[in-house]
Amino acid sequence: MSDDAFTFAPWNPEAAEETGYSHYSYWRSTFRTFIKNRLSLTLLIIMGVLVLFSLLYPVLASVDPNKVALDSSLWNRRPDFAHIFGTDGLGRDIWARTWYGTRTSILLAFTIAFFDVGIGVVAGALWGYVRKSDQIMTEIYNVITNIPSTVYLILLSYIMKPGFWTIVIAMSSRGWITIARFIRNKVISLRESEYNVASRCLGTPLNRILGKNIIPFLVSIIIMQTALTIPYSIGAEVFLGFIGLGLPLDTVSLGNMVNQGRSNFMLYPFQLTWPTVILAVITVSFYIVGNKFADASDPKNHL
Amino acid sequence: MAAEDKREILLEVKNLTVDFKLGRRKFSAVDDVSFHIYKGETFSLVGESGSGKTTVSRAIMGIHQASQGDILYKGESVSGNMTGSQERKFRQSVQMIFQDPMASLNERAKVDYIVSEGLYNFKLFKGEKERKAKVERTLRKVGLLPDFASRFPHEFSGGQRQRIGIARALIMEPEFLVADEPISALDVSIRAQILNLLNKLKKEEDLTYLFIAHDLSVVRLISDRIAVIYKGKIVELAESEELFRRPLHPYTKGLLSAIPLPDPESEKNKNLLIYDPSIHDYDKVPPSWCEAYPGHWVLADERELDLWRRR
Ligand SMILES: Nc1ncnc2c1ncn2[C@@H]1O[C@H](COP(=O)(O)OP(=O)(O)OP(=O)(O)O)[C@@H](O)[C@H]1O
Ligand SMILES: [Mg+2]
Repeated sequence: MSDDAFTFAPWNPEAAEETGYSHYSYWRSTFRTFIKNRLSLTLLIIMGVLVLFSLLYPVLASVDPNKVALDSSLWNRRPDFAHIFGTDGLGRDIWARTWYGTRTSILLAFTIAFFDVGIGVVAGALWGYVRKSDQIMTEIYNVITNIPSTVYLILLSYIMKPGFWTIVIAMSSRGWITIARFIRNKVISLRESEYNVASRCLGTPLNRILGKNIIPFLVSIIIMQTALTIPYSIGAEVFLGFIGLGLPLDTVSLGNMVNQGRSNFMLYPFQLTWPTVILAVITVSFYIVGNKFADASDPKNHL
Repeated sequence: MAAEDKREILLEVKNLTVDFKLGRRKFSAVDDVSFHIYKGETFSLVGESGSGKTTVSRAIMGIHQASQGDILYKGESVSGNMTGSQERKFRQSVQMIFQDPMASLNERAKVDYIVSEGLYNFKLFKGEKERKAKVERTLRKVGLLPDFASRFPHEFSGGQRQRIGIARALIMEPEFLVADEPISALDVSIRAQILNLLNKLKKEEDLTYLFIAHDLSVVRLISDRIAVIYKGKIVELAESEELFRRPLHPYTKGLLSAIPLPDPESEKNKNLLIYDPSIHDYDKVPPSWCEAYPGHWVLADERELDLWRRR
């Protein structure tokens, strides 16, 4: 064999560095792990459809949920073609009211989740990162969590005028602290890790340490907490409606519907059943999806 | 001796003590440690795990508060509160390289940001173009490809990640580099590469190193002077060759005897010395920091100093 059959490839130290390169992506793996689970995928779709439908319902249908029937034969009708879910004691269409109510509840829950999570994340990140704040924040946490939530909710709803923002304030003024606590624990484990020490050695200001080194690691916790806050807030609105302290009676909400349905339950059980079924489906799917996402976001469960 | 005195002292650590609270109890991870580092030298700090090496380095970087003592950089105290411009100068000119390349890079940031972090902190560039050019140049300096900048740390091997960490320090154009066991978490096969890189950079960039390691074999070839630390106290400090030729403290002797020998025959018959702190009799008179030979310091009481010097 002649010598020139092979030539030496020139040694290129930079090209040698090209190895050791993988295509692992955190978010893609999280998503793949999540949809691998049939239950969570199904629930996610159901949840999405329900939320979308209730948000779009006023555009899709022109039935007025507050239209009262003067003809008493239209009151308390059992479900039929004209009224799929029947009508209530004033002849209002329960199908339309259910979607309007779901819409109100979802908007309310999203607003509460927005404030809860927004305040909770910022406060929790500071609580975990700024050592000096630990003592006072722990005190605040103890005070807030030691008041039973129902007592607190009822008290605030009494003091303030019933309304959308009353419930938002009543819920968020309390809800943020549990989220802050979660965030704090995670942040404490992050702050001692070497990459954060490295940033401090470089003199990185606190706002960028939070924004670049801390919060990106909290995204999965944030999504999970949001997913869990939503069913809880919907439940709280229903609870307040149930005891008569919820939204004003002329607002269509799941809470008000459950409250009215309850008084007629013995005679017309369908008036309570349908809003409750929708309520249960939304609450349960948010809850399970939130938990499944938390599992999927853990790299240990990645495929 | 006289020649040495003329050398410029870059960093001076004076009676440094760092206490940690363990529940109610207080314990000193670093206990009354003093040394200085000349400009341009590689000063190594060697000791076993838990001896306080990282604590010393983090006290220098201002991550841990000094409970007692003082740290001077270019003659100015950096252990207390610094003014804005002092801090800025210090943070730019003193950089650190970390032990664990898996933990020391932000997993959610691109290499581009990681390497530029210090530039952003002190606005050390005029425009985006200049910053990009600096990143590219620095990545090349540490033997990486410029287009690695757009990738995330998890895409790299341990050795590459350590190079990214070195680039992050180097881009600040530092004068003094603290390297805390920069190779001990790496594969044996790539340790030499990183050591060579650090040596090359030292020459090219005119750097001074505080190099931390847990065994003496690693530091022999690269250090000018070596300090041996045991349980938060420096027990011996000498020029590298001097320390290997004439170790005085029994702990140093133990460390030296633990270095594996290349010849299997002598390795087998080697006498492994195990340090037993109870040989000291420090109850009545505590040991002091004595200069046994010019530039060769040891922690001993008078009787020991006499004994060790005679051997
Ligand atoms: N933040 C801290 N709080 C309490 N104790 C600490 C803290 N940091 C370090 N220590 C303790 O101080 C001692 C010295 O730790 P240090 O990390 O400085 O050792 P080291 O010499 O770097 O060890 P290694 O070779 O394992 O890195 C150890 O006993 C350690 O447990
Ligand atoms: Mg260490």
